[in-house]
Amino acid sequence: MSDHLIVAAISAYLATLGFAILFNIRGAKLWAAAAGGSIGGFAYVFLVKQGMGAVMALFLAAVLFSLYSEICARYYRTPVTTFVICALLPLVPGGGMYETMVEVLQGDIDQALKIGLDTLSKAGALALGIVVVSTLTRLYFGLKEKHQRRIKAHEKC
Amino acid sequence: MTLDANRLLKAASVAGRMLLESGAETYRVEETIIRICNAYGVQHASSFVMPTGIMTSFFYEDRNYARVERVYERGTDLNKIHLINDLSRRIGDEKISVRDLEAELTLIKNGQRYSELLIWLFSGLSAFGFAFFFGGGLGEAFSSFLVGMAIKTVSLKMETLQINTFFNIVVSSVVAGFLSVFTVWIEIGSNLDIIIISSIMLLVPGIAITNAIRDTVAGDLVSGLTRACEAFLVAVAIALGVGFALSMCMSWIGGAL
Repeated sequence: MSDHLIVAAISAYLATLGFAILFNIRGAKLWAAAAGGSIGGFAYVFLVKQGMGAVMALFLAAVLFSLYSEICARYYRTPVTTFVICALLPLVPGGGMYETMVEVLQGDIDQALKIGLDTLSKAGALALGIVVVSTLTRLYFGLKEKHQRRIKAHEKC
Repeated sequence: MTLDANRLLKAASVAGRMLLESGAETYRVEETIIRICNAYGVQHASSFVMPTGIMTSFFYEDRNYARVERVYERGTDLNKIHLINDLSRRIGDEKISVRDLEAELTLIKNGQRYSELLIWLFSGLSAFGFAFFFGGGLGEAFSSFLVGMAIKTVSLKMETLQINTFFNIVVSSVVAGFLSVFTVWIEIGSNLDIIIISSIMLLVPGIAITNAIRDTVAGDLVSGLTRACEAFLVAVAIALGVGFALSMCMSWIGGAL
């Protein structure tokens, strides 16, 4: 991981922008989607620099970019996935996957299992971050709708 | 004006198939199909979606209508998802006729994509960014740029030949492995690990991961499991490909890389 915050943010922006083009995102959403990746990458590197464990940092970064994605999706009136898919990519533990494979190649099964489990827990933390935010937004908008219906029912009475 | 229920059913199913082929979540496909059907006032509209197929049915004027749509390809086109999602919400307000709906769907189906050159350049740029993100220098970034473009060329070529995804990914990552070793060998970059990781990030199944999570949260457990399985298999395919390339290089060059 890069230990320079600005470098991390800009490089994550470039990486995500490339993916946004591959996924055929168009118009202003393109730049917003790339910014999502940048936010996630920046948050992760920042939190790790503050001495936080990688798994916890990934979880918080995932919560942050998911929140950003939900807001953007409402602003641009487009499905949330447009932003989440892109923002997720820089944080996917590809490095862990690769290191696991290298250890397997070198025949060190203990080390391979250790790194493999670490990679799995990182992926789990990312998933959990996304789950938390999407569940809470569903809950929020569900309650809001219910509340508005109740107000309307009151007005009719 | 009487409603042509058969054509509506077909249009709704086709919209669903296009969504699924573009990488939409299961619940979005189901909701969109039902929203389109309900906008025309049919009763008991329901649909059942899995990653490989769609079933839709509704009841209209004393008759049941049903249709099965089989889905073979799964790509990624977030713009298409946006457009169909938008269209399905407009039908109710703007009173679009079934004929116009069909016309709009055809228009969306043939929608624009970025040119091949642009896709090629930006996959290189993406790998370039990743190299810096993973702590590499300019040499590593430039190597990743080249390897990333090469990977995309190979995988796009194999997609047009309609070779299955997993074999495609294995071959692309073999190419990535060999080319990365080559760039280190001719001394463009020095850190092999970073070059390989940055370029194989292009093959990471982002859509499958995200949709696996979102489908599971939405309660579509079958689709969630299927997509998680797909993501895992792709990860294994990447490891297999790169592992093959690296172990070949180790036995040729001998010893440490």
